[in-house]
Amino acid sequence: MTEMVKHPLVSVVDDDESVRESLPDLLRELGYSARAFSSAEEFLASDCVAETRCLILDIAMPGMTGPDLQQELTVRGQEIPIVFITAQADETVRPRSLEQGAVECLFKPFSDTALFETLNAVFRVS
Amino acid sequence: MNADRKICREIADCGRSSEQRIGLLPQHHLRARNSAAAEDRAATWMGLGIAEIGAMVGGQIRQGHLLPVVLATLCQLFDATVKGYSSSILLLDVTGARVRNAAGPGMPASYMKQFEGRQVRWNETPFGARIIAKTPVIMDPVSDTRREGQEAAPAIAPGLRLHEVSPILSLTGEPLGIFVVFQRESKADFPRYHPTLVAQFTQVASAVIERMRSDEALKRSAELLERTQQFSSTCCFSWRVGTDEISSSKELCQLFGLDADDVPVTFALIGARIHPEDISTFHEMIERAKSGVSEFECEHRLRLPDNSVKYLRVVAHRTRNQEGHLEYIGAVQDVTHRRHAEEALAKSRDELARAARVTSLGVLTAAIAHEVNQPLAGIVTNASTCRRMLAVDPPDVEGARETARRTIRDAERASEIVRRLRALFCKKGATSESLDLNEATREVVALSLSELERNKVIVRTELAAELPSVQGDRVQLQQVILNLLLNASDAMSSVDDRPRQLVIRTERDEKDCVRLSVRDTGVGFDPQAVDRLFDAFYTTKSGGMGIGLSVSRSIIESHRGRLWATPNDGPGVTFSFSIACGPQDGTAGVNSARSVGVVRTSAAANAEERHPRSL
Repeated sequence: MTEMVKHPLVSVVDDDESVRESLPDLLRELGYSARAFSSAEEFLASDCVAETRCLILDIAMPGMTGPDLQQELTVRGQEIPIVFITAQADETVRPRSLEQGAVECLFKPFSDTALFETLNAVFRVS
Repeated sequence: MNADRKICREIADCGRSSEQRIGLLPQHHLRARNSAAAEDRAATWMGLGIAEIGAMVGGQIRQGHLLPVVLATLCQLFDATVKGYSSSILLLDVTGARVRNAAGPGMPASYMKQFEGRQVRWNETPFGARIIAKTPVIMDPVSDTRREGQEAAPAIAPGLRLHEVSPILSLTGEPLGIFVVFQRESKADFPRYHPTLVAQFTQVASAVIERMRSDEALKRSAELLERTQQFSSTCCFSWRVGTDEISSSKELCQLFGLDADDVPVTFALIGARIHPEDISTFHEMIERAKSGVSEFECEHRLRLPDNSVKYLRVVAHRTRNQEGHLEYIGAVQDVTHRRHAEEALAKSRDELARAARVTSLGVLTAAIAHEVNQPLAGIVTNASTCRRMLAVDPPDVEGARETARRTIRDAERASEIVRRLRALFCKKGATSESLDLNEATREVVALSLSELERNKVIVRTELAAELPSVQGDRVQLQQVILNLLLNASDAMSSVDDRPRQLVIRTERDEKDCVRLSVRDTGVGFDPQAVDRLFDAFYTTKSGGMGIGLSVSRSIIESHRGRLWATPNDGPGVTFSFSIACGPQDGTAGVNSARSVGVVRTSAAANAEERHPRSL
């Protein structure tokens, strides 16, 4: 139990391999445990859903998109704080995401500081 | 006096309408003739002569009476001349097949009714044979034809005896009608000493019909011309070059805003209406015409006294008039509406193109950003992780090495994406075909003419005849030409003290090349800046992005050619490009960056003189 509090699980869902590869390492450096999934479907099928304390979620993915997954989790009653990430430089994305309940929306490439602060905010609230 | 009244009454009785009764037969002629004894009437008639009958009916024609009315007058004249006889004229239609109309003021109503409202085939009348034979016949009681006449007459004109049938023929022998004479009073004698009377009347009738038909045809064609002129906003004119006499329709006066009193129209009057900026074009046209070209055409504007502007298109054809003098016959069309529509179209096309450019640029930027941001995210994350791994004590060197490796890998991935994008862009739409540079140039000039004219640029094209074809991408080369034209136009936009003249010339260049040059009389460029002219984002224009010349040069270079600029002796600059003519081998692509580099080196010696700074 104490282990889980010390290293809360942050799951990364992104179809881009370099993100799946690099982000968990950084999350671990920041003191979290991390898992990466290449699609929303893969995440939903895993045994990590209930355990995940924060979800770092790519918006544009083939198949189920980030917002689709967000909606699915709401339907299932799984209230996981979500941080969207996107490579789309569209300024309208962020306010829309926040409006729909995301904690934050980060534009790729984002700095470790930005990620660190965002996660701090997530875990301070929860 | 007695005879006078009798004749008048006869005419009144025979007249089929009050109009015919009142107006048609000049009373003084009747009096002149009828004051003589009845036996002398024919002689008096002879005194009148064919010329005088002609003059009488001619007067009616001039007064605008219709053909049936004039023919009725002719019948009245005949009936008044030969007592006891009635004449009628059956008018055939233009095909000569049917009776179109009948005149016979002295004939009973039942006779006339046969021809009213329906077109009788003349060969269904008893006179058919006469028309076919084209000879008159007198129904002599002792001749064989008597039977024909006697049998026919009761059917066609009950109570009357057919006396003579005479076909009315045109000068060329075509049947126009039939002159038919009936004996009304059995005791009446036809004046036998005057056998040519019917022939003379027939002759007059023929002249009248032909004259009136040709008048009608003339009138119709004049009406047609007038209508056509109205519908097409066109006016006709003729111009005798030797004397500068201009004859024109009244529509031309209206078009030029001239008073109807301004006749004859002169060059001085017209010249005063020509738009000041088009005066030289107008005079050039006049000079060209005076040199005796077989045809000329030109577009110019008018500025009317109310300051409104009209666009005119003039086309004329050389001819010789009857005296053998040089004369142009032509038409002037008001194309103002069309020009306004064209300008509106060009404007919306420009706006559309601009919008499309901005939109596609936006879409493109987003796509590129997305592609590049992905590996950048990896790079930043890996580098951050790497730094953190090295910052801890003891440093996680192995982890750091791994993240550094990934950083490099992602950076390579990013640069690969950029490379792929560039390849995609160069390839896009580039095709190589054999094309006529003159034709490609003409298309661009036609497309941009309205834009150039809006900038008050005078365009002259000097396209070399028999220019060899070149190998390349038509659209890309046209983009270059368009860019050079618009640049030249922009360079002259502030020029007001000299003509904004643009000359597009194509010619053969050395070494089997074809050269296209665009010369302007614009502001030119700072010699110091010549090195930077073709740099991307270098611009002297407030509204420009400065990529036109840079892109143009890269297009020309991908065609293994070169693009350069030279200051003119006078004001302005000439931009030229030169590309190889004739088919090239298929592998020498339009777009391979590598081949561009190689070829550029080989052409460098020549190119360096003009723009020392290599690309």
